[in-house]
Amino acid sequence: MTSFLRPSILRRASLRSLTLHPWQVGLSVLGIALGVAVVLAVDLANTTARDAFALFADTIAGRATHVIVGGPSGVPEDVYRRLRVELGVRPSAPVVERDVSAPAYPGVAFHLLGVDPFAEPPFRSLGNPETPGGLRPLAILLTRPNSVLVARDTARRLRIAAGDDLVIRVGIAHRRLTVVGELTPADELSAQAFESLLLTDIATAQELLSMGGRLSRIDLIVAPGAAARETLARIGAVLPAGVDVVSARARADAVEQLTRAFRVNLSALSLLALVVGLFLVYNAMTFSVVQRRELFGVLRALGVGRREVFILVLGEALAIGIVATLLGVGLGIVLGHGLVRLVARTINDLYATITVSSLAVSPGALARAVALGIAGTVVAAIAPALEATVTSPRAVLARSVIERRARRAAPRLGLLGVVTVGAGWGILRMPGGGMPAAYAGLFAFLLGAALLTPVATILLVAGIRAVAGRALGMPARMAAGAVVQTLSRTSVALAALTIAVAATVGIGIMIQSFRETVVRWLEASLQADVYVSSPSLVSNRPDATLDPALAARLVSAPGVAHANRLRAVRVPSPGGAVQLVALDADARGYRGFRLKAGNANTLRDDLAAGAVVVSEPFAYRRHLDVGSRVRLRTDRGEHDFAVAAVYYDYGSSEGTVLMSRAVYDRLWDDREISSLGLYAAPGVDVEALVASLRARAGADADVLIRSNRALRTASLAVFDRTFAVTIVLRHLATIVAFLGVLSALTALVLERSREVAILRAQGFTPREVWRLVTGQTAVMGLVAGVLAIPVGIGLALVLVFVINQRSFGWTLELEVPARVLAQAVLLSVGAAVLAGLYPARRLSRLGLPEALRGE
Amino acid sequence: MDLAPLVELRGVTKVYREGESERVVLRGVDVSVARGEFLALLGRSGSGKSTLLNLISGIDAPTTGDILVDGTAVALLSESERTRFRRHRIGFVFQFFNLIPTLTVLENLLLPLEMIGRAGAAARAEAETLLHEVALADRRRAYPDRLSGGEQQRIAVARALVHDPELILADEPTGNLDGESAGVVLALLARLSRERKKTVIAATHSAEVAGVASRLLVLRDGRLAPA
Repeated sequence: MTSFLRPSILRRASLRSLTLHPWQVGLSVLGIALGVAVVLAVDLANTTARDAFALFADTIAGRATHVIVGGPSGVPEDVYRRLRVELGVRPSAPVVERDVSAPAYPGVAFHLLGVDPFAEPPFRSLGNPETPGGLRPLAILLTRPNSVLVARDTARRLRIAAGDDLVIRVGIAHRRLTVVGELTPADELSAQAFESLLLTDIATAQELLSMGGRLSRIDLIVAPGAAARETLARIGAVLPAGVDVVSARARADAVEQLTRAFRVNLSALSLLALVVGLFLVYNAMTFSVVQRRELFGVLRALGVGRREVFILVLGEALAIGIVATLLGVGLGIVLGHGLVRLVARTINDLYATITVSSLAVSPGALARAVALGIAGTVVAAIAPALEATVTSPRAVLARSVIERRARRAAPRLGLLGVVTVGAGWGILRMPGGGMPAAYAGLFAFLLGAALLTPVATILLVAGIRAVAGRALGMPARMAAGAVVQTLSRTSVALAALTIAVAATVGIGIMIQSFRETVVRWLEASLQADVYVSSPSLVSNRPDATLDPALAARLVSAPGVAHANRLRAVRVPSPGGAVQLVALDADARGYRGFRLKAGNANTLRDDLAAGAVVVSEPFAYRRHLDVGSRVRLRTDRGEHDFAVAAVYYDYGSSEGTVLMSRAVYDRLWDDREISSLGLYAAPGVDVEALVASLRARAGADADVLIRSNRALRTASLAVFDRTFAVTIVLRHLATIVAFLGVLSALTALVLERSREVAILRAQGFTPREVWRLVTGQTAVMGLVAGVLAIPVGIGLALVLVFVINQRSFGWTLELEVPARVLAQAVLLSVGAAVLAGLYPARRLSRLGLPEALRGE
Repeated sequence: MDLAPLVELRGVTKVYREGESERVVLRGVDVSVARGEFLALLGRSGSGKSTLLNLISGIDAPTTGDILVDGTAVALLSESERTRFRRHRIGFVFQFFNLIPTLTVLENLLLPLEMIGRAGAAARAEAETLLHEVALADRRRAYPDRLSGGEQQRIAVARALVHDPELILADEPTGNLDGESAGVVLALLARLSRERKKTVIAATHSAEVAGVASRLLVLRDGRLAPA
């Protein structure tokens, strides 16, 4: 009789024992369900956002194997002619494209795609364009100027019909288009990919985007095989400097790579919520084993083997895990619908324009969540199950013996905790340790902290007991003393609660540290009084250009003493596209740079001499330091730039290369300006200057003119949006922690009903019982809250200095806000007091004879 | 009738370590218990009666000495062998009844049968018969907390017998019952063990238990002596 399925009566007894404490099991189920829900929601949101981007990229890139790309000016149109006419490369298609917005539809990003209808068939499957009257739509695109086709679903959502006008904004200009038909997707997947697409012919796109004679790219289909290399070499030979042929796959992967760190970080935080949930399961299962020590003793005496007891407890955990995971999956899908919008918005803010209309619930994500929830719960129950097997069949050990053993074991466990924390520290410091090592170190740290909890509890309670006893007398001493007297039960609950509350502290400190670092960086780096830019669809990519005439008009406005001009573009490099900033500024423009490495005094001269400075994430990603070289593809061919300095920059996780505008102008043909930094003349009021500049620009000019303060506020708004997902995750972790405190302490108090009844028999009034019980839970809440502070700070150190650093390459300054710490203690004590209310009420109403007889 | 003793203890000593000190509970105990015998072990609290039962059942191991149950040297068995030994050959009656609270009365009786691989209609019939014997057939679907102490102990007696073990070990079987209930339980234990030819060793303070026993021994200062 060793099989899991036998004896069925034993299994029935075990499962019924779960129903004996529905609130305890219910809260455990809810805790783990929330953990699973968070992991699944983040997974679904991440996958949906990534797939949306990949789908869109595939639709845009079509079946192209290679792409000819240029720098900021694009690819000369003549290259396409030479390809087809001179080299005979027939499967090639020119593309002119850009993200555009429409003032009538705020918040909607369109992708204007200009194609040559005759070259298209081998590349893109653009559905079945439908136009009223049955005219061939592509013919209309060719013959009617400024006509576009709109995706069917987009047209319906925005109530655009054939024949309607659609005004789009390109840079600061507004252009009027005519919708001539709809793109009907072949299937649901295409419908999602077509979302936001505006299809037009290449000439219209060139005119709309002011790209006369130039193309965004040329798509190629190069058949694989031996001839491919030769074909690519022939193509390469006719390309002008600054124009290159790259693999289409590598280009699509670049954005995937960019957003990976962001997604990995979210997944990590969601896993943290699950770890908290699992600690709570561990606590609940340990408690349920300790509670039934006597029962296991009887079963062992009756001849039930250790293995059967082990399987029995694991079976209970499995039942809890299955129910909780199913609930978590449901909750996760609901939560995912909310999170996917936040994730998509963050990716839009930071990386690229994507449109997500619905959550894609993938079987893979569901399977991962189910496996994680069930396996995690069972793993968390292994230690309690082993504990159950060592229950002596010699009936029951005296409770005092068990407690004495627990107190004696505390220092040994503490020592083990110190060793485990030390091991975690070692793993975190391991040279070359990537993200897996970071998470292993983090887990070891949390485990070590949990092991240290019993000894820390003994020390803390001794202090609380002395202080509270002096102030409040015997009941207070009793309430505090009970925590240590029942250490075998309280220590596991306290460890779980400490970890749960510490997770909220750690994430809170990490967010605040990040925010404060960005605030200080903005204060230091925004030196000009007024900033002028063109609205961009991607907040941190100011690649839209300013009208040169408008720029000149603003620079020469009265009250403006000096102007910095900045050009931000993406340029190709052998390692993929690079965000490049060309700066035309006097000494004041360089004051805002805080250098991580390099000499600030020679910075301007170094840049003038042709060197570049790179941002910290760029240096981190490409393993660069002062003296290294960065190779970029310029309009004059590939060029190596010496790195003169590495500067702190929190504007882009991708990283930025900065050079002087003079150097940029020598190597690229682009003469556009992305933004201006204007310095007010002495005595000029900045807000008044902003108003006069806006008046000078004219009411129709679609240009952002903002004071230093307004730009700082706007930047922080983007930051806060970026962290909205993290903040949601922190709130969820807080709810899980709250549930944990509630379930663990309610169980602990109810379990002591007999002890309380003895006090009642000795003359304690119901009110005194109530005070004693809530006093005890409050002490436990206080202990967990206080212990959570150092553990939470430790967790924040790992998140800020290891995990964040390895994900993004940013150096953050640790900021420990008193508010976050106070919140932790309040959360813990508040939940603890609340946890005491129900048992206190029940115990004070319990009939004495019944209570004295015990459960 | 087999005249070989069912239980035989030779020079059994049990010493517990308590921190730095040692507490000797049994000092060279020698005793033989014949098949079908009802032996009552008397003695004060802490005299080692329960320890002796634990040693016989293989729950605990002696410090020195041999314990033979039906020729099996219990102390030499492995942990899992001792578990199987208890499962098949021992029936327990505890002072605090110790029924499984999450099983009904009938299920509590079916558990020992299932553990030895006996399930189905025959096992159920066996359990039902015993429920009739202890006059609690009408409570078969009740959970233990719905029963009085006396009723719970009657179920415990039935549970100890249901899988037909050779030996019943009863640790203060009436210690937690009022006089009337104690009398009923005791009469039941004595009658059923006699009818089914079971050997009973009962640790007790109770004069009533002593009254139904076929032999009385007293544990004093770790040694057994006739009462």
